[in-house]
Amino acid sequence: MDTILKFTSHHQGKDRVFRATQFACALSTYLLRTNTDRTKLLSTLKTLEANLNAGRKVFRLGNTINSIQAAKRSLQLSDRVLCLCLTAAHVNRALYFFCDNVLWAKSVGLIRDTNKVSWSTGASRCFLLTLIGSLARDIYVVLQLMVQRARDGHFRQKMIRHLNESPQVAEVIVPHLDAFLFLLLESLKSHPAVVLDTVKNFCDLFSPLDKLGIYPSNSGVVSLCGLVSSVIGIITYVNPSLSIKP
Amino acid sequence: MDAWVRFSAQSQAKERVFRTAQYACTLLGYTLQKSGASTELRKTVSHLEAHMSLTRKLMRLGNSVEALEAAKRAIHLSDSVLRLCLTLGHLNKAMYFACDNVLWAGKTGLVSKLDQHKWSQRSFRYYLFALILNLTRDVYELRLLMESEARYRASKSPPSSSGSLPDEHLSSASAPGAVALPIVSFWLRRQLHLLVTVLYNNPPLLLDLLKNSCDIFIPLDRLGIYPTGSGFVGACGLTSSVLSILTMIHPWLKLKP
Repeated sequence: MDTILKFTSHHQGKDRVFRATQFACALSTYLLRTNTDRTKLLSTLKTLEANLNAGRKVFRLGNTINSIQAAKRSLQLSDRVLCLCLTAAHVNRALYFFCDNVLWAKSVGLIRDTNKVSWSTGASRCFLLTLIGSLARDIYVVLQLMVQRARDGHFRQKMIRHLNESPQVAEVIVPHLDAFLFLLLESLKSHPAVVLDTVKNFCDLFSPLDKLGIYPSNSGVVSLCGLVSSVIGIITYVNPSLSIKP
Repeated sequence: MDAWVRFSAQSQAKERVFRTAQYACTLLGYTLQKSGASTELRKTVSHLEAHMSLTRKLMRLGNSVEALEAAKRAIHLSDSVLRLCLTLGHLNKAMYFACDNVLWAGKTGLVSKLDQHKWSQRSFRYYLFALILNLTRDVYELRLLMESEARYRASKSPPSSSGSLPDEHLSSASAPGAVALPIVSFWLRRQLHLLVTVLYNNPPLLLDLLKNSCDIFIPLDRLGIYPTGSGFVGACGLTSSVLSILTMIHPWLKLKP
């Protein structure tokens, strides 16, 4: 009940559920596109997706300010790399929200003479740069964790035990690769928040890459990745310990 | 900017801002119609109003749960009148949100062949009941405060000059009717003075009373009980939304419980 309340009483929780539903509708539409018996269901799913999309755009009005404040906070971080990655990500997110707000104003008729395509492309570019900044931060955090682990004496013993246990062909040929993978997996196992954030950002990449034509994929792939990232977003909202900090 | 971040982090904050925008559009649409503005502009304003209304319906999905939780909390209040008013008020609000969610499903095409008018009337009826209960609570609190203020005044001032009419008025009057009217008007003036004092000293109660009084005209108009027109409804909705935003910015202005 408490979890349900957490979702219903705060817009961020509702927004994540709506995002997941939106991508679920898009995925279902893609999977049912060839099915001629379900035209009514298809049109219902499309209408629902469009309504959720339009509603979420209104939700996002004013998020530019929130992102600018987050960017100001991240400027004060002591770690220079983290400071750079996060500030760049937040600034780009603020620009993305601004483009999104302009697109909303155009869709309701508040602004007339604007080039929808150029603003949409701008929004996708800003979103892509946000994701690149976030992924750079994830990679940096993983590398830091690996360096920390490698220095740990207890872990070194574990590594030696692992390398001696399995004398397989691949391991003999590329011992460094096996050691690297072992170090990577052990570091990631101890910090699930980093794993979740990396997977989320990676899944989110497909949407702007497809829209900008850099890596075209079909709407099914984009919807599936969007759904996975939305579900991860819901998990981190329900369990804040799984959310990466800062 | 910090203030906006803190404000928008509250649960109902953005919804209130959009409510303000929606009723501002209603009022604007009415003024544009009266002043004979272009149809295109009127269409844009009415389209924006409909868009805000549908988005707010989307935002309200799941609010029934919150209202039921509030009703559960209100059952434990010690004062019986408050307990009754608040519990029933929250239950009616929960029913209103449920009907509102059904209306959203109908408007977005999830539920086909929905009688929009019937469900809309139903939702406004529950909203009206909730507002009547809130106003009853306000009047009850006001009554309690006026009584305690009157007792306080009576205890402060000496008994000889305690609110009774001066004797010359009574002795100069010849007929009983001529005595009754000054007594009634004096009593009215005293009650009015008490009312103004109590409301002046209790801004949360004043704001809540004003807010509910403005809000009640909306369902009264939509249900056809007391039609006032879209201009008046827009102005009332706008006023109550602004007052509600004020109570969010300054939480001490919110009436508790």
